[in-house]
Amino acid sequence: MTGMNRRSLLKSASSVAGLAAASSVIGSPLIAQERSLKIGSYGGYFEDSFKSHVYPAFTEATGIKVESVTQPNSADWLVTMTQATQAGTVPADLSLYGRATMIKASRVGGLLSPLDVKAMPATSNMDPYFVFEDTTGAIGVGAMSWFTSMVINPEEVDAPASWAEFWDSSKYEASLGLPRNFNALFLDIVAATFFDGAETFSTKDGIIALVEKAAEIKPNVALWWSAESQMEQAMKNTDIIGGQYYLDVSNLMALDGFPIQAVFPKEGNPQDYGSWCLSSLSDKGDEAAAFINFTSDPAVQALMSRKIGTAPLVPQSKTDLTDEEFAFVSGTPSIKPAYEAYLDNETFIKETWDKMLAGA
Amino acid sequence: MSAISDPEILANSALTGRSRLSQLSVSKLVIWALVLFLCVTPFALIIAVSFGEKIEGASWEWGFSLANYQRVFVGANWPEEVTFLYLQNLYYSLYYAVLAAILAVLSAFPFTYLMTGLSRRAQSAWLVFILSSLSLSEVFIVMGWDVLLSNRSGLPMVVKETGLTDWLKAVGWFDTLREWGLANPRNVKFKTSVFATVLTMSYLVWPYAVILLYPPLSRMDRSMVEAAQTMGAGPWTVMRTVILPAVRLPLFGATLLLFVFLLGVYVTVSVFAEPAKQTMAVSVYSAVRGATLNAPFGAAQAVILLITAGVFLVLGQWMSRRAAT
Repeated sequence: MTGMNRRSLLKSASSVAGLAAASSVIGSPLIAQERSLKIGSYGGYFEDSFKSHVYPAFTEATGIKVESVTQPNSADWLVTMTQATQAGTVPADLSLYGRATMIKASRVGGLLSPLDVKAMPATSNMDPYFVFEDTTGAIGVGAMSWFTSMVINPEEVDAPASWAEFWDSSKYEASLGLPRNFNALFLDIVAATFFDGAETFSTKDGIIALVEKAAEIKPNVALWWSAESQMEQAMKNTDIIGGQYYLDVSNLMALDGFPIQAVFPKEGNPQDYGSWCLSSLSDKGDEAAAFINFTSDPAVQALMSRKIGTAPLVPQSKTDLTDEEFAFVSGTPSIKPAYEAYLDNETFIKETWDKMLAGA
Repeated sequence: MSAISDPEILANSALTGRSRLSQLSVSKLVIWALVLFLCVTPFALIIAVSFGEKIEGASWEWGFSLANYQRVFVGANWPEEVTFLYLQNLYYSLYYAVLAAILAVLSAFPFTYLMTGLSRRAQSAWLVFILSSLSLSEVFIVMGWDVLLSNRSGLPMVVKETGLTDWLKAVGWFDTLREWGLANPRNVKFKTSVFATVLTMSYLVWPYAVILLYPPLSRMDRSMVEAAQTMGAGPWTVMRTVILPAVRLPLFGATLLLFVFLLGVYVTVSVFAEPAKQTMAVSVYSAVRGATLNAPFGAAQAVILLITAGVFLVLGQWMSRRAAT
């Protein structure tokens, strides 16, 4: 009796499944029009701005719906995506990778799918440097750029003309906030200020010299921050009076009346950028190309600068950004990070840096 | 009598006995399988990963290499160069955990003792309050102390506003504080410091300390205390000769448990400890989730931390058994 029931249940279940399959065949042209794309971006204010300003404009222009996915900083995201790719399903089609993380993903292999550059004519607006190609093809196209800038508390100190002034203990004893991680571009600042720039990273002796110079600033550092919010709070609470922090957030904080001022000293500030990268498991290559083409447009780059605070990857002249708006998100000179060196010698640089911090 | 000799009933009872036995063994098997899966699998995985090999500039691959363990003890550039960076991290893991566990138990002990002297109603009110404070995550607690210790809104502000900062400067003690890293030229500062780290860590486990000490203290026979008092013992003598010996083992056990718990604290240390004094838990995290994607090295450090915790637990067990006999 129970067997009968079970069998009839199975039978009806299979017919339901059949029906569903049939309906999906009938409905497929309809569903195909509902094109969609899952896009990852850094959580919080950043993602919110994308959701309220960029994605709706994109959906309006192309009819492709966007599902927003929250991603942590890109190194953490790479761990997630590596594990997800091994497991066979990924949380996002398109996501943001810093250049170093993107190169790393390329070296790991099998994580990213090459993009169809021909389907993205608007990318010609940006410097070819921002379209990253490896042996499989163009695996990342620049999305937006950001500066980490020198910041000071203007109520306590005058804007320094050079990063070198931060080494002056008579002014900054136990008063600075610098990033804790070896690859947070402070070493690039040291290289640009006291050495030959990215060139210095090419030898181990050069790296040791950089780290030794960085060690001299230790008495002036009150906070080695690892989370963005630590630095934000420390500046707001005047626990520190200067340091290295994101340009756009600093300017936003200044607008809110907090005692913080972003400064471009004569050496400049490090400029990093994020790329859109397509997961190897995604079958949304066309939709992804449409989205990247959309964000590469100078008008959208300008929109992101205004609404999200990122620096445009296209020249200011191609956008309608005013000088004031441009200065809010960008500046000169820009220090180009030694990305490849950070990867080629990563264990060595990390341990040398950590040893310096630990005094071991 | 006749029932027992009846072979059918005997067979029946044997049958039920056997089916009960098989039922028991099946449930036992399920429990064991669950325990194995939940406890042993993660450990086995970590141990397996710790032998993996790092690919420079990319990620890592499975392998059998002892290089990660070697790096924990002498650093990555051995033999050209030796560093005890990771042992230093391990030292600070132990250092903070010992200090914070002792501080938590020492301060929770008098509180719990006084609490057990209250009425039943007051006791349960306190217990509910303390249990509910456990729902605060480490992140919230760290945020709270971060504000409490910050220059504009916390303790340093109080020190400055009350004129204590100026007084310290006048008598010259301010420079000593600067040497200790507890002041910048403008005011005293408590972040980052060992003080802030240990304070927050002991605050984190304080409710656990109370909950661990409550059962032995509430079971303690109060008439012994009264007897000692009637015989003329002062409060300190009562504490030293009656109460402390009675709860010696629970005190030790609570400290040990909190110590092991505190070995893995991450948020507190990464926020309140300067990089020179950070712990192995932070180092594990930065290896596994940081930019280098060096899970094998993180796993090797985790195994060493695990072994250290194990050694302390065994030592503690041994000591408390000796103390009990």
